[in-house]
Amino acid sequence: MTGTGLSLERRIQIGFGVAVAIIAGVGAAALRSTQATVDSARWVAHTLQVRAELEGAFADLIEAETGVRGYVITSDTSYLAPYHAARTTLRSGLAGLRALTADNPAQQRRLDSLETLVATRLDRLQRTIDTRRTAGLAAAARAVIGGGGKELTQLAHELFTRMEDDEARLLAERSATLQARARLARLAAWTGVLVASVLAGLAGVLVGREMAARRRAEQALRETQTRFQQMLGSSTAIIYANTVSGTTFSPSWVSENVTRITGYRSDEPLQPSWWLDNLHPDDRARVLAEMPALFADDQLTTEYRFRGKDGAYRWVHDESRLLRDATGRPIEVVGSWVDVTARREAEVSLRAGEERLRLLVGSVRDYAIYMLDPDGHVRSWNAGAQHIKGYTEAEILGQHFSRFYTPEDVAGGRPAAALRATAAGGRFEEENWRVRKDGSRFWADVVMTAVRDDRGALVGFAKVTRDLTERKRAEQALRSYAAQLEVANKELEAFSYSVSHDLRTPLRSLDGFSQALLEDYHDRLDDTGRDFLQRVRAASQRMGTLIDDLLSLSRVTRGDLQVAAVDLSALAAAVATELKKSDPERAITFAIAPDLVARADAGLMRVVLQNLLGNAWKFTGRRPAAHVEVGVMAHDGRRAFFVRDDGAGFDMAYAAKLFGTFQRLHAAAEFPGSGIGLATVQRIIHRHGGQVWAEGAPDRGATFYFTL
Amino acid sequence: MHDRSILLVEDNPDDEALTRRALAKNNIQNEIVVARDGAEALDWLFGTGPHAGRAATPELVLLDLKLPKVDGLEVLRRIRANPSTRLLPVVILTSSREEKDVVTGYGLGANSYIRKPVDFGQFVEAVRQLGLYWLVLNEPPPRPDAA
Repeated sequence: MTGTGLSLERRIQIGFGVAVAIIAGVGAAALRSTQATVDSARWVAHTLQVRAELEGAFADLIEAETGVRGYVITSDTSYLAPYHAARTTLRSGLAGLRALTADNPAQQRRLDSLETLVATRLDRLQRTIDTRRTAGLAAAARAVIGGGGKELTQLAHELFTRMEDDEARLLAERSATLQARARLARLAAWTGVLVASVLAGLAGVLVGREMAARRRAEQALRETQTRFQQMLGSSTAIIYANTVSGTTFSPSWVSENVTRITGYRSDEPLQPSWWLDNLHPDDRARVLAEMPALFADDQLTTEYRFRGKDGAYRWVHDESRLLRDATGRPIEVVGSWVDVTARREAEVSLRAGEERLRLLVGSVRDYAIYMLDPDGHVRSWNAGAQHIKGYTEAEILGQHFSRFYTPEDVAGGRPAAALRATAAGGRFEEENWRVRKDGSRFWADVVMTAVRDDRGALVGFAKVTRDLTERKRAEQALRSYAAQLEVANKELEAFSYSVSHDLRTPLRSLDGFSQALLEDYHDRLDDTGRDFLQRVRAASQRMGTLIDDLLSLSRVTRGDLQVAAVDLSALAAAVATELKKSDPERAITFAIAPDLVARADAGLMRVVLQNLLGNAWKFTGRRPAAHVEVGVMAHDGRRAFFVRDDGAGFDMAYAAKLFGTFQRLHAAAEFPGSGIGLATVQRIIHRHGGQVWAEGAPDRGATFYFTL
Repeated sequence: MHDRSILLVEDNPDDEALTRRALAKNNIQNEIVVARDGAEALDWLFGTGPHAGRAATPELVLLDLKLPKVDGLEVLRRIRANPSTRLLPVVILTSSREEKDVVTGYGLGANSYIRKPVDFGQFVEAVRQLGLYWLVLNEPPPRPDAA
């Protein structure tokens, strides 16, 4: 179809109408032209007839004169025959001419003159005849010669001639008209043929095109129908139709995918009671109650459970439309059916989830959880928000959230800045002071999240606020303690330095000068005096050791842990080697398990092993052959390293005292020691986050365990 | 003036006496010059203050760290900063075993760091070894003014 506004059919009709009109016009023109030709031909014949009549009449007159002259000369009456004949023929001939030229007034007038002339001439000829008969030849001859007959004939001849000329002129005119009309008729006929041919050809082309277009349209329609069938076959929507009479439906058609979707054969849904029979009993009353709406609104959308062929109920979304005839009477219901079970289940679980979330949020008291609209007005409020900020839900809904900020922050534009930052980044977090309803301030941890809809448009903000005032105070206290501790540590360090330097100095004097006395005044002292000086020296030296051990104990609690993978096996082996070197005479075996690797501070682990192996070495001193074992075992799911000896052991009743500073379970005379070693070990293990403990029995050896 | 003296920088008379005794017991006969604090030691070495014009270069400096006025580490820094004493052997002889003192001492160019043991016997042994090493075995650096 082109855009002319007229349908192809209409244009073809118009084309044909124009062609028929043209052909009719041409026919009429040709007919009229033929009629004119015939008329013209009749006029030509008429003219020729008039001329013939004129010539005939003139000849009759001349013959009558000639006959009369013969009678005059001879007195023979036989010569009068032509004259008598002419009297009759001339009268009828002139009457005929009058009839023939009735349409021509000029010829009629001439005919009037001619009739008078002819009558006069015939009267003269009668008198001549009468004269001959009564007066003889001579009188008659004079009458002929002087009677004026010759002039009358001459006048008649002229009139005849003039009438003939007029007829000749008419003949010429009529012949010309005849030819012109014939030419026009031919032209009209040819033009008509041409126009009709063109129109007929044009109409043929248009009809041909229309036919082709119609074929294509039919092809397209068939393809569309096929596609529609295929689409319906694979669609998840079942299409159906019901005929309506009154308010009752009877199923008339259903798409074939009903079988694939519901399991029913496609003829089963056409059973009148199929739909109602399979509608879930709990939904039946509701759906039937909705039916009048279909007649009121001409459409109905509803959802209900429907039993499939397998007996299981599925949720169905049913959209139907009521079709009416021209008078408004309902005739048919068409609609579609979609299985929405998955969506319904998702909705149910979503609602359940939302309800759970609502309950959860509502019950939270330690967090203020609430929503803001995009402009920052409070839209929801939970118990935690009321608890922390002091406002009830009724008081705060619709209020702007800037009232939670301090006046300084409001003046600084922080509420608006927080909204902007959240909208831009999706999330905003800060710790700052906030204000409660009663005006008191609290230290808040605030997390703000932008909430957007499916299309990404900002619909509001979710805010979670925690009151960290207590924690803030605790942190401040902790920081203050840490600072105090720092100072104390510094003082301790200075103290340790003094101890290491200044406390040892007098000891050196004690020891050194005691020795000088023993050497320089040896002979002036008795054994008791020398023994006393020896005791002074021993005490000085023991105190030196004590000071050193105390310093090393304080040293392990200072400084950072340098944690790395440490090979305890290698470290233990090195310490054992040092011990053996200090007393090669001892019969002692070390059994060290291989590949004891732990993450720890290597320097401190060396101190641990020096102390534990040193103890084992020391407390096996009285065994003729001692055995020391280093290994690992599982303890409460952790690896516990251990050092076991078969030495003096200890009473488990005193196990708790083992790791105390300066605590000793053996007399110094029995086993020397400062009582600081195990305290040092414990501090190092604790700094590693581990535990240390011991098992033992008197004279049955001891085992020291530690975890890291 | 240059001789084979030993400069003992030590504020504690007991320690001075014990050190003298230990040196004597090891038959170290060098003259012992004692400075009671860091300032005195520097005056003696550089010929300033009471020792104006009498700068002396000893064979060896035995330097305590904890000293009145100018402490031992500062004395060491000045010794190393001065061209005339830059190469002088300095042995730190102190009670402290603090790691930071040891590290700082060596960092400032101490030649040895010896901790004075409480046990006098051990101290005598230590002095014997340092005397043997620094006064007998060690080839001293060329003296600036002897070159």
